[in-house]
Amino acid sequence: MLELSKVSLFCFLCSYAVALAVEMTQFMHRSFAARLATMLFGLAGFVAHTSYLLTRSQQHDLPPLLSSTHDWMLVSAWLTMALYLGIQLWNPRLSFGIFALPLVLLLVCVAPFASRTPIPQVQHMRVWSMFHATFWALGIVGVLLALLVSLMYLVQHQRLKQKKAELPALHLFSLERLSRTNWWLIIISVPMQTLGVISGLWMIYLSKTGSDPVDLISLTVGLNALMWIVMVMLFGWMLASRRPTGRVVAIRTVLACLFMMLTLLVMMVGSTDGIHGKPEPGLAGGQA
Amino acid sequence: MNLQVVYCNHLTADLEVREKLAFPNEEVLERAYQSLRHRFPRSEHVVVSTCNRVELYSAQEDPADAPTHLQLAEFFSEFHHIPLESLLDGFLEYQGSDAVRHLFEVASSIDSMVLGESQIVNQIKAAYELARQTDANGPLTSALFQRALAVSGRVRTETRLAEGKVSIASVAVGEFGKSIFDRFDDKTVLVVGAGEMATETLVYLQDEGVHEILVCNRSLERAKRLAEEFSGQAKAWDYLQHCLAAADVIVCTTGADRPVITRAMMQQVRKQTGPRPLFILDLGAPRDVEASVGNLDDGVFLYDIDDLDATCERNRKKRVQEVQQARVIIEEETSRFMQDVYHKATGPIVKRLRENWDEISRLELEILFRKLPDLGERERLAIEKSMYRIVNKLLHPPLETLREEARTGTPHGMIDAIKRLFRLE
Repeated sequence: MLELSKVSLFCFLCSYAVALAVEMTQFMHRSFAARLATMLFGLAGFVAHTSYLLTRSQQHDLPPLLSSTHDWMLVSAWLTMALYLGIQLWNPRLSFGIFALPLVLLLVCVAPFASRTPIPQVQHMRVWSMFHATFWALGIVGVLLALLVSLMYLVQHQRLKQKKAELPALHLFSLERLSRTNWWLIIISVPMQTLGVISGLWMIYLSKTGSDPVDLISLTVGLNALMWIVMVMLFGWMLASRRPTGRVVAIRTVLACLFMMLTLLVMMVGSTDGIHGKPEPGLAGGQA
Repeated sequence: MNLQVVYCNHLTADLEVREKLAFPNEEVLERAYQSLRHRFPRSEHVVVSTCNRVELYSAQEDPADAPTHLQLAEFFSEFHHIPLESLLDGFLEYQGSDAVRHLFEVASSIDSMVLGESQIVNQIKAAYELARQTDANGPLTSALFQRALAVSGRVRTETRLAEGKVSIASVAVGEFGKSIFDRFDDKTVLVVGAGEMATETLVYLQDEGVHEILVCNRSLERAKRLAEEFSGQAKAWDYLQHCLAAADVIVCTTGADRPVITRAMMQQVRKQTGPRPLFILDLGAPRDVEASVGNLDDGVFLYDIDDLDATCERNRKKRVQEVQQARVIIEEETSRFMQDVYHKATGPIVKRLRENWDEISRLELEILFRKLPDLGERERLAIEKSMYRIVNKLLHPPLETLREEARTGTPHGMIDAIKRLFRLE
């Protein structure tokens, strides 16, 4: 246990990278051993990842979701990884790793650039902060999963339209299931994000009476609102449109998700208002 | 004696070519046999025309009567109104034992797109039966096709070729259908056509859980028969468009010589249904669905026989061992059949030689018995038996040599020599 507390981000980043590399070898030579190796590397990384988050949580005496934006991103990666491992155990033939592992790697790679300092308001509004962070985490992870599912849909659709045989290394769910899953992910994630927005606004209101008031007119709030509006537009279109094709839904989901990711990146790099903790030194915002 | 086959199949020609050369129904085949009889009156013929192959088997007592490759290509060209030049490269030809081996491979389904599929056996039986009914076949092709069916049975019994996914429908649904739909128990399946392929497809789809089955066929009677078998509903041909709108899966297996589902028709249907996923499996050759239907919208997924090629090839690679086992059996059966054929060619000369010697011995015995009238019945019988044994022993070496020679081909030289030596002309 003592050894596990020394785990660094680099350890599980490497495990996940090796898992992805081994998964990619399936395209050249399909073997059970390689599939098992992917799972084992993924699992090893997941254990290290969990340990890292727990250690960080103990250091700050805060749940991982509230520790900092850095931890929040790693929790999102952890959730995606947990889902990946669960799906692979349930259906080992499914090529979910090709899609999920790059996303996990992206989140883990970006995390060091996010703020590692705890959010100042957390100590005063612990319960509301927990609600706010959980809703946003679930909302964003849900949308990121919708991105993966949409990408899988587009790959599967392309193959079927081009009448190509399935590559054994790229076994995906049926279009029917992918389309249904995508729909439900958006339908569940956007209300989660909405609750995140509402709890955030409520926390801003509460902060006015505290020692560290938060300004409503700020880049973080503005970008969050913009991101939320885009997701709500996608949500509204999906509910309102009559008989949309799965492909159009997938393309719009991918676009909305990419916009969301871009917004999160801009927020992380460009925001200087410190609402979600102080930016890391070395980044554009961090110089201010 | 001569045996030959000219053919094109899924390995040598695209569906676009095969559908032009196909004989889609009995009526067309009967006309083809008439034309063949007229062109090559001294030949026997059997045509095997399926979605994967068009093959014309011919046989002649006298090899000099065999039609040339060009003459056969001319027949196809004129019958189907296709330029001759476009045929010459696509048509392959085998003669003698190669032709026999080819038919045995076809019947054993190791030449099929879906390795081990059983439908080819019925298709060969049907082809042979129709040739027999129209008097297009003869003793040689009869022997060949009967042996082919027996070889097919032996391969299926002695190898594991017929295990697993062994129908076109199962491959198509497994490869594409299951990538489109998660389940089939809530889907409506429309089968257009009521032939054997339709039956086989429905057997597989029912195993996948399909409950709602519509069968639409030009002959309502046949549609009813098939629908009854699978607890489905038979629909008159006039209701085809309504059925298309209700279906999630469409399987086309008609013997029509042109598409029965056109782009204009499907455009109307899609206006009603919207772009929901629609899986169309066109198993007809000629094709039953216009190829452009597949581009109507994002939800239409249209596949024909040739689209299954890559999957079938993958399955084939996995089962190399079974194919090798089957080939050993086929090789053995081919040489046995050819020996029988060659041996049959020596039959008339052996018969004549034996009759000649028997006649001589009978005459000699008559002379002997006239000279020795006091011989009792027992003695006469003993002399007759001795004479019979002498004839047999004298005949044995030349006949055995003839049989040995006949193992590798018709022993024309030896037959001539025997005829001359024993003055059998």
